[in-house]
Amino acid sequence: MNLQYSGEETITADKATVWAFINDPEKVGRCLPDVVDVTVHDPTHFDAIAQVGVGPVRGKFKFKFELLPDAAGNRMDMKITGGGFGSAIDLTAGADVVDVGAGTTKLNWSGQAIARGPVAAVGGRVLDAQAQKLITQTFANVRERLSAGTG
Amino acid sequence: MSTETTVTGSLGVPMKRKEDPRFIQGKGNYVDDLSFPHMLYMAIVRSPYPHAEITNIDTSEALKVPGVVAVITGKDLEAAGLGWLPTFHGKDKQMVLAIGKVLFQYQEVAAVFAETRGAAADGAEAVQVDYNPLPVVTDPFTAKTDEVLLRPDREAKTNHIYHWEVGDKDRAEQALEASEKRIKQRMWFPRCHPAPLEPCGCVAFFDTMGRLQFHVTSQAPHVYRTALALVTGIPEDKIHVISPDIGGGFGNKVPVYPGYVCAIVGALKIGRPVKWIESRTENLTSTGFARDYHMDVEIGAKADGTVTALKVSTAADHGAFDAAADPTKYPAGMFGIVTGSYTFPVAFAEVDAYFTNKAPGGVAYRCSFRVTEASFAIERGMDILADELGMDPVELRRKNFVRKEQFPFPSALGFTYDSGDYHKTLDVALEKIGYPALLKEQAEKRAKGELMGIGISTFTEVVGAGPSKHFDILGIKMFDSAEIRIHPTGAGIVRTGAKSQGQGHETTWAQIVAEELGLDPQHIMVEEGDTDTAPYGLGTYASRSTPVAGAAIAMAARRVRERGRKIAAHLLEVGEGDVEWKDYKFQVKGVPSKSVTMKEVAFAAYTNPGQNEPGLEATQYYDPPNMTFPNGAYIAVVDVDKESGEVKVRRFLAVDDCGTIINPMIVEGQVHGGLTEGFAIAFMQEIQYDKDGNNLNTNFTDYLVPTSLETPHWETASTVTPSPHHPIGAKGVGESPNVGSPAAFVNAVVDALSPLGVRHIEMPVTRDKVWRAIRDAEAKRGQS
Repeated sequence: MNLQYSGEETITADKATVWAFINDPEKVGRCLPDVVDVTVHDPTHFDAIAQVGVGPVRGKFKFKFELLPDAAGNRMDMKITGGGFGSAIDLTAGADVVDVGAGTTKLNWSGQAIARGPVAAVGGRVLDAQAQKLITQTFANVRERLSAGTG
Repeated sequence: MSTETTVTGSLGVPMKRKEDPRFIQGKGNYVDDLSFPHMLYMAIVRSPYPHAEITNIDTSEALKVPGVVAVITGKDLEAAGLGWLPTFHGKDKQMVLAIGKVLFQYQEVAAVFAETRGAAADGAEAVQVDYNPLPVVTDPFTAKTDEVLLRPDREAKTNHIYHWEVGDKDRAEQALEASEKRIKQRMWFPRCHPAPLEPCGCVAFFDTMGRLQFHVTSQAPHVYRTALALVTGIPEDKIHVISPDIGGGFGNKVPVYPGYVCAIVGALKIGRPVKWIESRTENLTSTGFARDYHMDVEIGAKADGTVTALKVSTAADHGAFDAAADPTKYPAGMFGIVTGSYTFPVAFAEVDAYFTNKAPGGVAYRCSFRVTEASFAIERGMDILADELGMDPVELRRKNFVRKEQFPFPSALGFTYDSGDYHKTLDVALEKIGYPALLKEQAEKRAKGELMGIGISTFTEVVGAGPSKHFDILGIKMFDSAEIRIHPTGAGIVRTGAKSQGQGHETTWAQIVAEELGLDPQHIMVEEGDTDTAPYGLGTYASRSTPVAGAAIAMAARRVRERGRKIAAHLLEVGEGDVEWKDYKFQVKGVPSKSVTMKEVAFAAYTNPGQNEPGLEATQYYDPPNMTFPNGAYIAVVDVDKESGEVKVRRFLAVDDCGTIINPMIVEGQVHGGLTEGFAIAFMQEIQYDKDGNNLNTNFTDYLVPTSLETPHWETASTVTPSPHHPIGAKGVGESPNVGSPAAFVNAVVDALSPLGVRHIEMPVTRDKVWRAIRDAEAKRGQS
């Protein structure tokens, strides 16, 4: 099952701060909703364990993250693979990091999720809600933490 | 001499099932009831990907889970020479645990062994498998393009598995061309699943003598023993297969599954008993599915309705491996029965099978190897032809039936139908259902714009595989066997190579023996499923128990009788030639008062056999001379709600002709069960895959099993046309209702919708499909 999402977050922080934040695996990992644990392997690779519930499929899912920053510092892509309880979720997400002036930065993001296994069988609406939560909440958490100055 | 009370016959008696007291009291003995000291539990890691390369399997975290004892992967098995398992069809092999890549979602990837079921599940969750997804193929038409090659392990670099054909293609096509009327319809018999209430499972261990004790839910224990010997290299005398009570099989418990091999390997490697019981989801997603035939049906006829030609071309979806479990020479099973009950002068059928990224299978789900697909094709086709001709489907069938004087009837596709009286069976059905009154009611309702449908299905099955010159599985001929021992008191035991999964063998086999020997069926014990004690047989599936094992029992009983005759002659002090078997006892010819019962003979066999060999027992291996051809006339009456698309099955009548009836109560129960499954297939069930290869029906909330609330009331009746070649004239009935009913249901719905111009609707006939068919038809009419 293939799901696509997009959105934007306006963050009250300058571009350099935002860029530094989204290049920090520990910090990005902690933005995952209902995250339980983050293990950083190197500057662009980390694992995260998160509590996930899709219909009857509920429990801890383990995800592998790979950060793919562009050299110019304008775009961050992410490859996320993982799952649990016999299910697999593959996500690709990317965000353009745009300086909109006055110490404010925009993240124009889009993402695509492919679900396989029991989570794909529970039906589009249930899965859609969960996948959307996973992606939108992650970027919303980035905004909140940076705007709150906790980044 | 005889002082016994008169013995009456046991055949045709509605005797209550001897096995039921233990089942209804919860005292059945199923595999999951078994427990052995130090027993481990096995859980299987399965792939969420339908097609992917495996880049890494990391079992280290799983081995840290408390209670986990061991984990095995495909590489471990490959190193031991057990990476692949031959399928029963014998021309393909199946991965036990994935090696290199996975080919369908829920494929077995690793097996985890632990002290408890929970620890095994936790261990399975902790196995880390890295996949690289590959393009997915989910239908045979895409597979046919070979753009994505699914099985590079095979010599032939194509997704095409086989082409099978029967009949005369050129003559059939010429006859179709020359036909005054001709119909062609694509129809799909969707992928469904036998879904037995008890899923598959086993307990494996090696006893102190180093002998494999394998308790398993198998419909064919002896075939398992031989297959396990071939796969594992364990000598066959060191393998003991025991099938205890089985909670339904319906073809699902014929193949040997990877879990069984893993459990045996685990038991051998760890040196402790291993139990594996699959979950409902595992059963629905990885074990033998049924059907998935896309059929193009063409029928030619004269203007008066006389059929002139039939051609059926099929694309079969076999999933990731060719594990259809058909007899070796019949890759498309008995699909040649597609000429049905009709006298087609010429016919042609072909099947092309393809690999896809779906679970393997294609098992004979309560039917004799693809007979349900064939019956559905011809019975839907005849209704479409009737619609084209503007004829009553009853009259069209009647006009083209094989007449009773034509039996034995050679069909255009090579079968020799043994017996039948199709006109009579249909007449009984029409009379019982009140056909003229239903037609009148339908006309009145149609005048008011209401949708009422009457669906007919007059099918012929071919069951009882089978004659050894044609039928084998893994090279083993498809005979069956029986061993009968009569004890000194006239009680006895019968053992067969068949294996009941709920059919009532403990009762019906006892009735056959009792009938043949004039004994009390209550004291004839039936034992099956233990390869150490039962004679070799090919098992129970494809309606072969009564036609083959039942015949072996009758013939073995007759051998016992012949031995008894010698002892009777000794007791009656006459020559053997002067003794006849009459009225269920031995008597001196012409002197009925001078007689002995089998019970007296049995006692003498152990106490006073004279010059005869002591004891009273016999074994018979039975190679049937032909298949049997049960048939029936089914009629469904439905009302369709125009606004919601809801179909209500108001009446359903099944008139079956299964030859001689052993126990009418059991036949009725078999028919009720099969009709309920047929109803579910027609209206509720489908194993669906989305375009990404996700199985969408992985449990009973998505794969629907009808409860008593949804199930219609079944009306049943029978006609009896004995099989001329079966020792007691029986044909088998267990599968007829599943074979014959789907077409009756769909024909009824299409008949209801026919005033709107609807000509066909695919199964499962769900409410939304009917609603859409009505809306589409109305929109089309609005445009014209």
